Amino acid sequence: MPDKNCGGAALSAYLYIAKMRILTSLAYRFEVFVSVGSNLVLMLATVFLWKAAYKGVDVVNGLNENQMITYAIVSVLLSSLFQCDVQNIINNRIREGEIAIDFMRPVNLFGCYLGEDAGSAVSSLVNRMLPLLVISLLFFRMVTPSHAVSWVLFMVSCVFSFGILWLLSALIGLTAFWVMELGNMGIVKDTIVRIFSGSLVPLWFFPEGVQNVSRYLPFQYTYQTPLGIFIGRLDTAQALQAMLVQGIWIGVLLLLLHWVWSRARKNVLVQGG
Amino acid sequence: MLSFVRHHVSVAGCFARLAIQRQLEYPLFLVSWFLMIPTQYFAGIWMLKIIVDRFQPLNGWSFEQLAFVYGLGLLSHGLQVIFFIQTWNIEGMVIRGGFDRMLLRPMNVFFQFVVNYVNFIGMIDLIPGSIIFLYACSKVGFAWTLPNILKLLAVILGGMLIRAAIYTITGSIAFWTKASRSMVGLVGQLFERTGMYPLSIYPVMVQMLLTFLVPVGFISFYPACEFLKQDDRFVLPLGLAIWTPVVGVLMFSVAHAIFKLGLSRYESAGS
Repeated sequence: MPDKNCGGAALSAYLYIAKMRILTSLAYRFEVFVSVGSNLVLMLATVFLWKAAYKGVDVVNGLNENQMITYAIVSVLLSSLFQCDVQNIINNRIREGEIAIDFMRPVNLFGCYLGEDAGSAVSSLVNRMLPLLVISLLFFRMVTPSHAVSWVLFMVSCVFSFGILWLLSALIGLTAFWVMELGNMGIVKDTIVRIFSGSLVPLWFFPEGVQNVSRYLPFQYTYQTPLGIFIGRLDTAQALQAMLVQGIWIGVLLLLLHWVWSRARKNVLVQGG
Repeated sequence: MLSFVRHHVSVAGCFARLAIQRQLEYPLFLVSWFLMIPTQYFAGIWMLKIIVDRFQPLNGWSFEQLAFVYGLGLLSHGLQVIFFIQTWNIEGMVIRGGFDRMLLRPMNVFFQFVVNYVNFIGMIDLIPGSIIFLYACSKVGFAWTLPNILKLLAVILGGMLIRAAIYTITGSIAFWTKASRSMVGLVGQLFERTGMYPLSIYPVMVQMLLTFLVPVGFISFYPACEFLKQDDRFVLPLGLAIWTPVVGVLMFSVAHAIFKLGLSRYESAGS
């Protein structure tokens, strides 16, 4: 933990955790290499699926083929960054009884967990996203945001997306305080997010009814919002509006996390040891 | 010969009973599988439906036909997950020295290794598989004649063998490198993304790779071409469906040979 900055701002502790995380993930080169391969398979499969769908068709729902291919590629790129491990971390800490040690630390637990995930995201930027980006730029014609404002909006909204995904993951992780073992609930959540975030198929193509419900759920603001900004489907005004909703969701989920956490602390049962 | 088979069956039966008892220990885990697997696969087929509805049949494959390929692929996946899930874990066995006790017993190690764990949770995979496949069959007017049923069984079992063989070959890398789990994950991703869709949506290069190098195409695409009389632009003698079990048995023997070769380099765990 923080060695020389002990008395300093608590923030440096979290940054230290993030830094360690970056260094650890850079150490596992083979794992990273294979995970790039795995994401590449996913990316190529979706791109060719869309190419087949667009055969002889120009525009569907206001989107042309290049836009849709860009959407699919950037979606995989983002998913290689947005790896929120917090649900597994909490689950493992509880199963191994290590949560007791975490409680004794003089730092905010969620700060530490966020530090870990933010660290992995930063290292993924270099060793997971970059190779995929290079490959896709070589082989596919992608559209890019037309002006600087869209680039900025895109990046800010990506950060918001990460926030929402991370909070959802943390909330699922906390349920382990009650059920002791999450099992595959994390994967169930991931599947639901994958569908309703528009990361595979944009919600614009979904049946009307589903779209109407989805507007009131946090999921579509995780992938579809930044991707929509990137391919120019959302103009500046629409983008700002969507980002406001992202902000509201972050607020709501933060409050929820705070509430669940205060109840979970009373429910700690330390196993083993 | 008969007593040889009877002996193996009884050993496998004992292992299966133990495995089932082990899996029933955690009922909550079972519930989470029941939620997870059907959600995943019904979601996958739903995405296909949305794309076909908004756009058009993919390369001439209507939604019902796509569901046929998807369901067929999922059935062989389910069987593989029930009977050959161990092949995902060769790395763990190599690192922890798990083959030690099997080498001491007078029986084929690969056989012991495979039957060591019958994953009956895999039956949950067969639920969405059968629902989607039977739905597709009724829509495309699949004729349930005796030759067709026999062909179908051979295709599903062949697909299971192809999947198991590719996992075994990939997992056996661990005998040389001590690490293969992430490679096994990559193969899983490949099966998930290409084993349940028409290969013809991919460029010819990729189709060739998925036919001759990693024969994923035989799992469900080529047999579906024959069953659905789809124009497949790829002609093999004797009809396409019959090749699935042939390729399956062939791949499986290759996998067994590679596993044995790897096992000869097995050096047990360190401490």
